[in-house]
Amino acid sequence: MSAPVASFDNVSMHFGGLKAIDGLSFSVAKGKIVGIIGPNGAGKTTVFNVLSGVYTPTAGEIRFNGQLINALRPHVITGRGVARTFQNIRLFERQSVLDNLRAACCAHIKYGILDVMLSTGRMHREEREIETGCMDILSFLGLADKAGVKAGALSYGDQRRVEIARALACKPELLLLDEPAAGMNPAEMDLLNELIVRVRDHYTLTILLVEHQMRLVMGICDEILAINFGRKMAMGVPAEIRSNEQVLEAYLGKKVR
Amino acid sequence: MKKRKGFHLILFAVGLALCCAVMNFGLIQTSKILIIQYVGIYIIFVLGINLVNGYLGIFSLAHAGIMAVGGYTASLASMHIFTSPWMFPLSLLTGGMASVLVGLCVAVPSFNVRGDYLAIITLGFSLIVKSILQNLEVVGGPRGLRPIPKYTNLIWVYLCVVLAIVMVNRFVKSKYGRNMMAIREDQIASELVSVDVRNAKSVAFSVSAFFIGISGALICHLLSYTNPNSYGYSAIIDGLVMVYLGGVGSITGSIIGALIWQILVQSLRTIGTWRWIIGGCILVVIMIFQPNGIFGNRELSIAGIKRAFAAIRNRLAKGAAGKKDGQ
Repeated sequence: MSAPVASFDNVSMHFGGLKAIDGLSFSVAKGKIVGIIGPNGAGKTTVFNVLSGVYTPTAGEIRFNGQLINALRPHVITGRGVARTFQNIRLFERQSVLDNLRAACCAHIKYGILDVMLSTGRMHREEREIETGCMDILSFLGLADKAGVKAGALSYGDQRRVEIARALACKPELLLLDEPAAGMNPAEMDLLNELIVRVRDHYTLTILLVEHQMRLVMGICDEILAINFGRKMAMGVPAEIRSNEQVLEAYLGKKVR
Repeated sequence: MKKRKGFHLILFAVGLALCCAVMNFGLIQTSKILIIQYVGIYIIFVLGINLVNGYLGIFSLAHAGIMAVGGYTASLASMHIFTSPWMFPLSLLTGGMASVLVGLCVAVPSFNVRGDYLAIITLGFSLIVKSILQNLEVVGGPRGLRPIPKYTNLIWVYLCVVLAIVMVNRFVKSKYGRNMMAIREDQIASELVSVDVRNAKSVAFSVSAFFIGISGALICHLLSYTNPNSYGYSAIIDGLVMVYLGGVGSITGSIIGALIWQILVQSLRTIGTWRWIIGGCILVVIMIFQPNGIFGNRELSIAGIKRAFAAIRNRLAKGAAGKKDGQ
């Protein structure tokens, strides 16, 4: 097996007495789609928050491409290639869809304040480059005709897709999707399934996703990590997880003997 | 694109020629020229404030303090170092740069503190600057500085205003502008799409401070004196009123705000305190009907004017049709 893209080594995240994550270890192999499941409050979103730098873990080591990223600030981690979406959509609502994406290109823009004040050719060239890059992403996701629309004016499903587009504009290697199917009906979910796989293949990404919808998780994930009370219950291919007793117990309750 | 550039250059030259003509041939009364200069200087001031309070969405009250630093530094520079008139731009730059330094200091608390708390911190900053100036005998204490050489004239004001508008326009349309607006909308989300929030805030505060400092310098060289009382509560409120009257997050708004408020305040001088009541009433009305200001988050453009006219025409046509139906 090749070296993992991201790995957690005995990571803990405590908030006062609450142990949101407690000694969690797992790793994500390159090019895989890995799902994280668990009951409410199991610590799924906290995994994303420590990985993307919103919180600094209390203990343990988080590595991305072999480098320790524990104490880095969020924008640095994103710049290195970890991008994410949010459980409750967080777009820049009063700005156009294209501007939402352009703002996410920030780490890849080299021009400085003097280029802006003198309006140099370098600045115009870079601006053109990121604009075509963003438009490519938008057309790939079927949003090209929405480029000029204010993000807040879009439908819920479109906003979800713009979130994914914005994360892609950061040029990530690892994409974190936090409940991408929240509020979707089964038909929309099948479209999303197909979209996630397509995005992975087209941009050669590794994808980590938190999801409640088993239809999505079981359908597209290569591997599933099941956690409860911030601890790992099981990790394996979907068939294994489906028949794992601990997981069934956490979701459905204990069998009466 | 090329054509538009040429058009802008011609416009600029015509403006410059007009300024020269006004100054040399006495086309307009001196008191009116003074009002025009006030308007110009306050356009620069409001553009500066708008970068932080409008585009970055931080309610800062530091502008009075920053203006004081810019004004005093530039005045001292022209009194003691750059003593000949052609060195005026150097004094202006010195004032602007000094303001940038204090602007950076104000940016630091804004990294973590938000909302009302930051407003109180920045208010504190403005008041500290004022009382330091009041107690510093080197710069004249409460009597202030005089005589400052009277270098500011219509042409300088015109050049500075044009430069300020062009620079701010480029700035807000660049990645820095996008970063500012992203932070205004959602700071956490912008961090997670790779916006360096601390860097973006520092840059925004320094550029803002630069223009506020320049405006302070121009005003000191216009009046040829300055004292700490010019940078108290009234300066803070004046700035806020112009920003929120004209429109937050808008260059057109900054210009309109400065224009309306300065003409009002300066031309109503004769009726004394009553002008504050009239001004206040206008502000209340605007806040009720246009809470973001006249041009809140919008710009005046030819396409926009055409669209507005089309909308009015539509409405009129509909109204006429409605009347016909009624008959």
